[in-house]
Amino acid sequence: MNPTLGRRLLPYILISPLVVFIGALSFVPTVDTTVEAFFQVMPLNPPTRFTGFGNFRRLFANPVFVTSWVNTVVYAAIGVVLSVVIGIVIATSLKRGFRFRGVVLALVVLPWALPAVVEAVIWNWIYDPNFGVLNSALHSAHVIGGYHVWLGLNRWLTVTLIEIVQVWQITPLSALIILAALQAIPPTLYEAARVDGASSWQSFRRISLPMLRPAIAVAAVQALVLSLNIFDQAYILNGIAPLGSSVMLQTYVTTFQNLDFGGGYALSLMVTVATALLSMALLALLYRRTEAAA
Amino acid sequence: MKIPRSHMRRPLAPALALTAAIVLVGTACSSGGSGTGTSTGQGASQGTGPSTITVAVAYPAPPAAMLDQFTKQTGIKVNWVNIGWDDLQTKIAAAMTSNAYFADATDVDWSKVGEYYKTGWFLPLNKWFSVSSLRPDMPQLGTFIVNNELIGVPFDSSFMVTTINTKDFEKAGISTAPTTLGNFSADLKKVATATGMSNPLDIQLATAEGLSTCWYQMTAAFGGQVLSAQYAPEFTSPSSPGYQAMNWMVNAYKNSLVPKGNINVTDYDGFTTEMAKNRVAGVLCDYSGSVASIYNVASSSSVVNQTEYVQTPGATGPGPAVANPDGIGIPKNARNPQAAAKFIQWFTNTENQAIWAGLKGQTDVVPTFPLPARLSSFALLSKAGDIGQASQLAAILSAHAQPPFPNGAPPWYTQFSNAVQTNIHQAAIGAETVQQAVNNIASEVQQLKASG
Repeated sequence: MNPTLGRRLLPYILISPLVVFIGALSFVPTVDTTVEAFFQVMPLNPPTRFTGFGNFRRLFANPVFVTSWVNTVVYAAIGVVLSVVIGIVIATSLKRGFRFRGVVLALVVLPWALPAVVEAVIWNWIYDPNFGVLNSALHSAHVIGGYHVWLGLNRWLTVTLIEIVQVWQITPLSALIILAALQAIPPTLYEAARVDGASSWQSFRRISLPMLRPAIAVAAVQALVLSLNIFDQAYILNGIAPLGSSVMLQTYVTTFQNLDFGGGYALSLMVTVATALLSMALLALLYRRTEAAA
Repeated sequence: MKIPRSHMRRPLAPALALTAAIVLVGTACSSGGSGTGTSTGQGASQGTGPSTITVAVAYPAPPAAMLDQFTKQTGIKVNWVNIGWDDLQTKIAAAMTSNAYFADATDVDWSKVGEYYKTGWFLPLNKWFSVSSLRPDMPQLGTFIVNNELIGVPFDSSFMVTTINTKDFEKAGISTAPTTLGNFSADLKKVATATGMSNPLDIQLATAEGLSTCWYQMTAAFGGQVLSAQYAPEFTSPSSPGYQAMNWMVNAYKNSLVPKGNINVTDYDGFTTEMAKNRVAGVLCDYSGSVASIYNVASSSSVVNQTEYVQTPGATGPGPAVANPDGIGIPKNARNPQAAAKFIQWFTNTENQAIWAGLKGQTDVVPTFPLPARLSSFALLSKAGDIGQASQLAAILSAHAQPPFPNGAPPWYTQFSNAVQTNIHQAAIGAETVQQAVNNIASEVQQLKASG
């Protein structure tokens, strides 16, 4: 083979397994989902037939579907803001060398490494209204007079408490992404700032934060994707009650409990499109600001 | 201070590509299960062959020695897959819709019989099992028959009972079991005063299947049923048993008879923990088998030998026991239906059913197995020393157990159950009135019936 041609082909050969892998696992199901979203696929009401926007109309007529979307937007908003802010705090703290830093780093990563179901079960015990740690701690500290039912009574409290569990899980990844970017900032910039008489806060605001914006953008996007797709935490902590329902939970109920596969496809498609658009918007917003700051 | 441009600029295109990859992989991972192309052949990859079958149920495997014995006798090797009940239903639906192999024998829940009959997802078992000879020994067999087709064979005889803590009742000076709901409420209030319990009654009120079945049980206790033989709602009138049952359950919660947290305890283990830890003195809609498998287990219970089954108190006297047995059947895509049928015959035979429930001691017990499906197995347990209050349960089973729906579960049972649990839950937390809840459920029934 011509050595020049070989060199040209090498990158494509190397990347081809990944292309096949992503193509098989992501693009093919995405195309399939897009097509099937316009068909009525109900094993209890065969045959499968083209229904146009029928699946979408049926979904929008369901008030639980609307509640789930509003809840999901709140999940995403809380998830993105908290995971990025806490991620920055953790990354900034871990940037400095200190004793047992490695141990602390491992502990920080732990919630990310645990399966979401395991975490939800743990938090279910923490929130338990009869013998949970949260009630016990607050009662012991005289913050509350008696044990409270935390989940299932108040919609926004339920959504917030469920999202806290999600934030607990996704924040370590945000922290790691931001920490990696933080460590890549040349120390000379900070030294120059110190010579110019900048305080720590000024250095953080004028150097770290602008330099971190690309990493923050990636961290925010991963938090957004994970929060928009929240399922395990909502299902385990709240069941299928509409109060804290998410769109992914509705996808599960629609598809596997109601056996409305067409409706499930339509919901999946909507989530995918919403996730893509919101992610692009978030990314574009953060990048523009970065360039403006420059 | 100005930051050099070389440090600030990052190419946007790779970042956008990364975003797209995260989005696609993230959504694909999250929603992958909804695709009809999902392969769920968990068992298929594990040593399947002409004489190997995969059995997927929500129970731990029987003792390995007994399975080995079955293999020696029949030449059939069993690959046992224990999957949680909810996951199992998802896997069955995904595999059947995508026409993929899943298992040779798997769970047929009582609530799914209508659905499986209509979809044809399970093979009729009539050619392997004689319905007429099984019926006298299996009181709940009828739950698994639709238009003379046997969709599954019951392998336990789970039904609803009421459980009380006799020690707590004695502390309150009560020596006879309550027979009406009025008596029961009054007794529980006395128990609360005598023992200091804040909320002495356990009822499932979280959005889970247990809430739906409890409503069917309580409706039966009030002397009725929720749906007619033609699946018409029978609960919309305030004087109907279904309406009164829901009202009673909601008021029990609002009047603090029931722990406040019950509206959010979705798992059965969490629900029974209240009784096991002596935080309640009575459980409505408890499962037959809880005394032996939960409350009398010394390692996790503080009420060992203190609990007793009673018939569910009704409006004017003891009510019937609503039955919700588990069955086992053969999916249409089974690779070895013949061997699966042989396994089901072995798994549900008289002696083995009694062994799973403790006939030969704790070592051969299948954990969480509630009760045998056969009366002849109960007879063996009674003869061996009334293991697990077998004679009492056999009496309730043969005389009082009834299916929740006179003509079997409707094909759209799952949607119906979802509507039931979410609306009762909403009524309990005060987001809806009982009237609104019954109206919403009735409206859902009409829609489901109209859509076929």
